[in-house]
Amino acid sequence: MKQRARFPRTAVVGGAALAMVLSLSACGGGSDAADGGDTIRVLVYGDATNKVEKELVATFNKTSKVKVVLDTIPGADYQAKLQTIISSKQAPDVFFNWGGGSIKPFVDAGLLLPLDPFIAKEPDLKAKFLPSVFNSAVIDGTSYGVPMRGTQPVLLFNNGKVLKKAGVKPPKTWDDLLAAVKALKADGVTPIALGGGDRWPTLMWFEYLYDRVAGPELFQKALDGDQDAWGSPDSRKALGKIRELVDAGAFGTNYDSVKFTDQGSPTLLATGKAAFELMGSWEYSTQQDAHPEFAETDLGYSAFPSVEGGKGDPANIVGNTNNFYSVLKKTKHPQAVAEFLKLMYSDQFVKAQLGIGNLPTTTNTEGFLDTAASPDFAKFQYDLVKAAPTFQLSWDQAYPQSAATTMHQSLQQFFNGSMDEDAFVAAMQALPTS
Amino acid sequence: MKSTLGAGRPGFLWAAPAAVFFGLFAIVPLLMVAVLSFASWDGLSDPEFAGLDNWKKLLDDPVMIKSLWLSVLLTLLGVVVQTPLSILLGVWAAGHQRNRAVLSAIYFVPMLLSIAAVSVLWRAVLDPNFGVPAQATWLFGDGNLFGMQSSAIGVLVFVSTWQFTPLHTLIYQGAARAVPQVLYQAAQIDGAGTVRQFFHITLPQLRNSIITSMILMVVGGLTTFDTVLILTQGGPGSDTTISAYYMYQKAFKSFDYGAASAIALLLVLVSTLISLIVVRLSGYDKMRSTMEGL
Amino acid sequence: MRKSRPNYLAGFGSLIWLLVVGLPLYVMLVATFQSRPDYAANGPLAFPEHFTLDNYVNDLNSGFAQYFVNTVIVTVCVVGIVVLLVPPLAYTIVRSRGRATTTVFRLFLLGLAIPSQAVIVPMFFVISEAGLYDNLIGVILPTAAFAMPVCALILTGVMRDITPDLYEAMTIDGASPRRVFFQLVLPLSRSGVSTIIVFSALQAWNGFLFPLVLTQSAETKVITMGLYDFQTEHGVDTPGLLAAVVLSMLPILIVYLFARRALVQGLMGVGGK
Repeated sequence: MKQRARFPRTAVVGGAALAMVLSLSACGGGSDAADGGDTIRVLVYGDATNKVEKELVATFNKTSKVKVVLDTIPGADYQAKLQTIISSKQAPDVFFNWGGGSIKPFVDAGLLLPLDPFIAKEPDLKAKFLPSVFNSAVIDGTSYGVPMRGTQPVLLFNNGKVLKKAGVKPPKTWDDLLAAVKALKADGVTPIALGGGDRWPTLMWFEYLYDRVAGPELFQKALDGDQDAWGSPDSRKALGKIRELVDAGAFGTNYDSVKFTDQGSPTLLATGKAAFELMGSWEYSTQQDAHPEFAETDLGYSAFPSVEGGKGDPANIVGNTNNFYSVLKKTKHPQAVAEFLKLMYSDQFVKAQLGIGNLPTTTNTEGFLDTAASPDFAKFQYDLVKAAPTFQLSWDQAYPQSAATTMHQSLQQFFNGSMDEDAFVAAMQALPTS
Repeated sequence: MKSTLGAGRPGFLWAAPAAVFFGLFAIVPLLMVAVLSFASWDGLSDPEFAGLDNWKKLLDDPVMIKSLWLSVLLTLLGVVVQTPLSILLGVWAAGHQRNRAVLSAIYFVPMLLSIAAVSVLWRAVLDPNFGVPAQATWLFGDGNLFGMQSSAIGVLVFVSTWQFTPLHTLIYQGAARAVPQVLYQAAQIDGAGTVRQFFHITLPQLRNSIITSMILMVVGGLTTFDTVLILTQGGPGSDTTISAYYMYQKAFKSFDYGAASAIALLLVLVSTLISLIVVRLSGYDKMRSTMEGL
Repeated sequence: MRKSRPNYLAGFGSLIWLLVVGLPLYVMLVATFQSRPDYAANGPLAFPEHFTLDNYVNDLNSGFAQYFVNTVIVTVCVVGIVVLLVPPLAYTIVRSRGRATTTVFRLFLLGLAIPSQAVIVPMFFVISEAGLYDNLIGVILPTAAFAMPVCALILTGVMRDITPDLYEAMTIDGASPRRVFFQLVLPLSRSGVSTIIVFSALQAWNGFLFPLVLTQSAETKVITMGLYDFQTEHGVDTPGLLAAVVLSMLPILIVYLFARRALVQGLMGVGGK
């Protein structure tokens, strides 16, 4: 009565035998990606910039006996992967980080190699970088990182064509922005693209508004553990501005279903469905990669507008101050690592970074600005960074790792209206500070 | 089971390789989880004994309570949606008509995709601006599917249903074909219609399969992870942060391995409990014999 | 046949389900044959204007071929381990009367309820200490272990159906456990064995969390990881992403086309009878 599987006997027996033989041979062969003898493993954040890192590694490997192997880990998982492997046997020799708070736990755990001896031998490792940037990887007076990639301020990008059609100019003040939102809405486009699904793009709005309204001091106080900072009138004023903008329909209604990381929001901007996007300078390389034509013709940018009566200097910027390479103590080839780090201020590196829209912070950068993919964009950023009284590191990088998830959730919930001001203040006060 | 004692029966040695293997890679780590749940550890320095701290924190953690509730809700919704659907499809597909065979072959396709692939596919299909919602605003409105709790949960349930219904359909299809035809013939003589036959013959005969399929759904539902990671990342806010995902966040975003281990242990307890309840409640003999010793 | 007259309601329902299953598959296929700008401009439902295979070519050039090989290695090894270890286990559970065996069976039943996430933290440290991090073996071992409980359950169910008379007949002849296993139990459990092959193969093919935590470099990437990375790295290249999804299902699709019956029957077996 029952239907037995009609699996021919030979197939089962043969299949099983084959599987075993294969499994034994294949398992035996396996992969031997683990540490080889004469290699340095370099771990970097996976994104469009990897192109330059790969070129650089190729250059290095041409002449060096010790070869560099580059491992990229997609952005969303980078931090998680790094912390899990850094104290294990599989830790890389050199790794990408954000300096400051992002490497402090590793320094405390005694995992990182002080770079001062390298610098003593090769002063250029320090002298070739802008001091303000270099210093953010100095912890308790010891250098632990060499700047790589570039500085990444957050800018207000726009689609020039869309602005023109709606008769709108990049906003200089908060009121300009509100007026632009109104005009753009009337014109049938989403005023501002936002990848709310990723949560950190939402954070950028908080960072700038807190800075403009309350000045950089408020966040620093909160970070230092002052509970009152989040509940202060200035804090509430900044939250009010955010509420005002969201309620004006600046972001449309479905921003929480849109992501930057799957390039949803950049595509909205590029295809003219949205007019603005507040994003790190990497928006440029992203657009160059995905929508080269748009990047060349219609991609515009401006600094974040000022807020009347606010305490923050309108020249302040927020974002990633820089990225760094740090070295693990356990590396077997410190000499080769030092050689590799020297490339971070080489002309080739600076030019290549500029070529994809990044802005290295080496002393020779200024001389190469003309060779950038978009010299105007490079100069704009360079001047902005140079003139900025403060450069606020992203909140989620400034706070300890353990705070990031809750912080992101609360930001998202306040932004989309599912959490009120008081609950938001309470949630931020409850975050662990270092 | 009244056969001659001893002779010809395999000794424990036959089971040893599997037991050792399983012990090494499942039971030992589980014991380590239990130990870690009483420790404070960030993975960098050495773990420190923390007593009941992790557990106390968990019980006070609103997100934890919410995540447990969400896990159960998601699992229940999965069972409630998938069971009737796959029974109907399975019984329907059990017929031997040609068109049914062809359609069944197509129905099976989602099963060929990995969970990751399915999630990636649906994320693209449901993109509010460049996916189907933009084309069908009458159905999706502004397409903010991932921005509201109800719709985000709906998406998760729907996507799992889309992927796993083929498996459960097959289970029922196999079982429905095994129902003795004489039962139907007898019922037809008694004048019972299709619907009556379905409820009085097919459904009771499927009991065993229903239990198996439900256990698979429950365990699968409680351990849903890839779908959440790729589709919602637990959002909006923490509105789809189910326990399994919350555990992952605690471990690999906050690096609080102690708390993560406590959640993990809790998850094991809950899923053991639910599996046991399903088995006990159903009280199915055959199942009991399969589960003997429990 | 049980139902002689056509059932319109069922027919209608089956067509609805066809739509639900088919629509995303349609979107997926047509997207893969058009360029990115075309897809963004025309929407997901439009038929490709300018047919192109570039998406597939690009994917294959960006490492998917390697991910395939890795996934196949993992799958074959996991199936190999399961097929090697589980039948003797199930045989013992069904036939042995020892206490140790009962304990082992309980352990495996408990295993049904252990989600792989639950042990991922210690698993990472075990695998890492064993020097198997970022090595396919490190993915294979735990994946196989976690496929075992369900397989053991399925196979004991099948083996229980072998009537005691058959065992007795052989035992009276003085057959050793080994002979009983190879000449009686295995041949009569073929359906069960094919079920566990299919089941463990699907587990391995679908594996996500273990590769996510236990591997990192391109050389050890499996397809599921490739897809996940692709989504976060290249994003709205939806056509390319979906082409990768299609590629990821090709091997199983081929198996499905050639061994549909075995695959389907194998899965039907999951439910027992």
